[in-house]
Amino acid sequence: MIERIHRTGRALFGALRRPMARAFESAENPLNHIGAMTVFFLWIVLISGIWLLIFFRTSVSGAFESVEYLTREQWYLGGIMRSLHRYASDAAIVTIFLHIVKEFVFDRYRNNRWFTWATGVPLVWMIFVLGITGYWLVWDELALYVAISSAELIDSIPIFTDSMAGNFLSDDLLSNRFFTLMAFLHLIGLPIFLVFGIWLHVFRLTGPRINPPRRMMAATLLALLVLSAVYPAISHEQADLAMTPRVLRFDWFYLHVYPLIQLWSPGWVWALLVGVSSIIVIAPWAPPQKKERAAVVTLDYCNGCERCVDDCPFGAVEMVARTDGTNYSHQASVDPDLCVSCGLCVGACPTATPFRTRGALVPGIDLPDSSAANLRASIITAGQNKSSPHVIVFGCRDDRQLKDLDAAGISYVKVNCMGQLPPSFVDFALNRGHADGVLLLGCQDGNCSYRFGAGWTELRMTRQRDPMIRNRVDASRIAFGWQAPWSDNESAAKKYEVFKRALER
Amino acid sequence: MKLLPEALMYAVFIAVIGLLSVWPPYEVVEDDRAIISLVFSHAGDRITECRILSQEELNKLPPNMRKPSDCPRERYPVRVELRSGEKTLYQDILLPSGIWADGKASIYKRIEVPAGRHELFVGMNDSGGSDDFDSTNSASVDMRPGRNLVIQFDDEAEQFLIR
Repeated sequence: MIERIHRTGRALFGALRRPMARAFESAENPLNHIGAMTVFFLWIVLISGIWLLIFFRTSVSGAFESVEYLTREQWYLGGIMRSLHRYASDAAIVTIFLHIVKEFVFDRYRNNRWFTWATGVPLVWMIFVLGITGYWLVWDELALYVAISSAELIDSIPIFTDSMAGNFLSDDLLSNRFFTLMAFLHLIGLPIFLVFGIWLHVFRLTGPRINPPRRMMAATLLALLVLSAVYPAISHEQADLAMTPRVLRFDWFYLHVYPLIQLWSPGWVWALLVGVSSIIVIAPWAPPQKKERAAVVTLDYCNGCERCVDDCPFGAVEMVARTDGTNYSHQASVDPDLCVSCGLCVGACPTATPFRTRGALVPGIDLPDSSAANLRASIITAGQNKSSPHVIVFGCRDDRQLKDLDAAGISYVKVNCMGQLPPSFVDFALNRGHADGVLLLGCQDGNCSYRFGAGWTELRMTRQRDPMIRNRVDASRIAFGWQAPWSDNESAAKKYEVFKRALER
Repeated sequence: MKLLPEALMYAVFIAVIGLLSVWPPYEVVEDDRAIISLVFSHAGDRITECRILSQEELNKLPPNMRKPSDCPRERYPVRVELRSGEKTLYQDILLPSGIWADGKASIYKRIEVPAGRHELFVGMNDSGGSDDFDSTNSASVDMRPGRNLVIQFDDEAEQFLIR
């Protein structure tokens, strides 16, 4: 059932992603940096917000007047800043939505990823409350509507005796201090919690990408500046407590739930919000993802080099004091609750070498269900095909390209993630006569199920990251075929044929 | 680099952002409608009157508990009714808040009415039992389109305010 939902979601997501993949190079594709783009939008919101704060007055009449001053008299800077503040906030909602959908449909929220997934939910709440309190501060007709409707929502929680919404019905009940409180919430209180929430959200990730590429940041900022200049954000009429706002230019990114307060009731809106949030939070266990057994450390072969710690994308491996009495000071230790069995640690382990002649192939760290020894055996088996030139294809288990190979009848060696393949295995395949060339197929950087598989494999194979492939390996005999899961670019079978022809030359 | 397709995608992106940040407009109330907001918190009378304790009764109590009167906490619900001419716009019985039903009864209600002149009557019974109202007020008001008329109860003056 859940697989079907994922599959349908991937198909729908693909409809958006295909044109994006055609328009952008992979590294510059915003859809490959959605989480980081959200953080970038929040930076714009923060910086533009600081400018607005300088001129903002926290009083009933001062709030509207100061925003009007920024918008009209200081339109060339304050007005632009206000519009940037508004549009970057809206854009953040779009990227947050896409971020959630992407992680869900590509099944990157279950198992050890539940923590990152679940901590995203309060972040979304905080961002919505930030946006809503921001609208409140303008104190125009829209602000009045938002204030009354928000107060009705709060009033429906049966813990307050006096109605909060009643405070927005007559001038003598509305205090300047109320704006001070809202400004404090919007400018200081919630942002502090938001920063803490973002830290918690990426806490379990190694090397989280919180900044998109510079060119993308520049292009996005330019686009928002153009929008701000061409279509600046403006206020409605000043809030008049004796009148009800009738028709509002509505920010549907933040306020889409508000019409339901009148249409249904505040209680049902709470039920919807809490219900959806709860479903999202429990999704990682509905049902839990099947997973292989966690990586295990064999101390006889672990020299405490720490490469597995550096390369684990989820912080599942740490170095602890040595327990076997050998002269090494530390040893690797795997937390099974955090391990997703991707094998990136095995790919990083210098003892995972297929050239070993004495004893069984047991690296310092290995996957019990997809061991390095099995990988070597698969290479030897694949090498028995004596076609010329003979190419061994390695493919990630999550890579859609494997279906292309199946359809074309091309055999391949499957790995959990391309990062599981130690460079010495490629050396082994090429220099022990098992293959004339090696084709590595996997998900494009930014779309790897295990975050760094494609990027680090390419760095290892091009001698830019430890463990590096040996100098003796002819780089022209290794080809990469990274492809986004939604891309309909060149098929894997065609890549295979092109590479074979290149080897023949 | 593919500058033109990239620029096109960014243009689509900001167009979506710009559009959905203001459009479609949302109609809160129709053009020919107005709002009456009925809002107040008021404690009904106590169901049992307070009783002054005798000196003998006080002497039986620990020194720190010698309150001069014994006041059972429970209060009457508050019955409220709002009419425009002969038409009842709203009526309800508001229960006292609190586990012991000893707190204020509260109401916050926004009622849409057609724009135009309304002969409003509001009444409240906070003493239980009878069908009569303990507090009433009435006014002839011009509800121009979009007007938000507020009806509150002033606890000190013990009267409804229509404004």
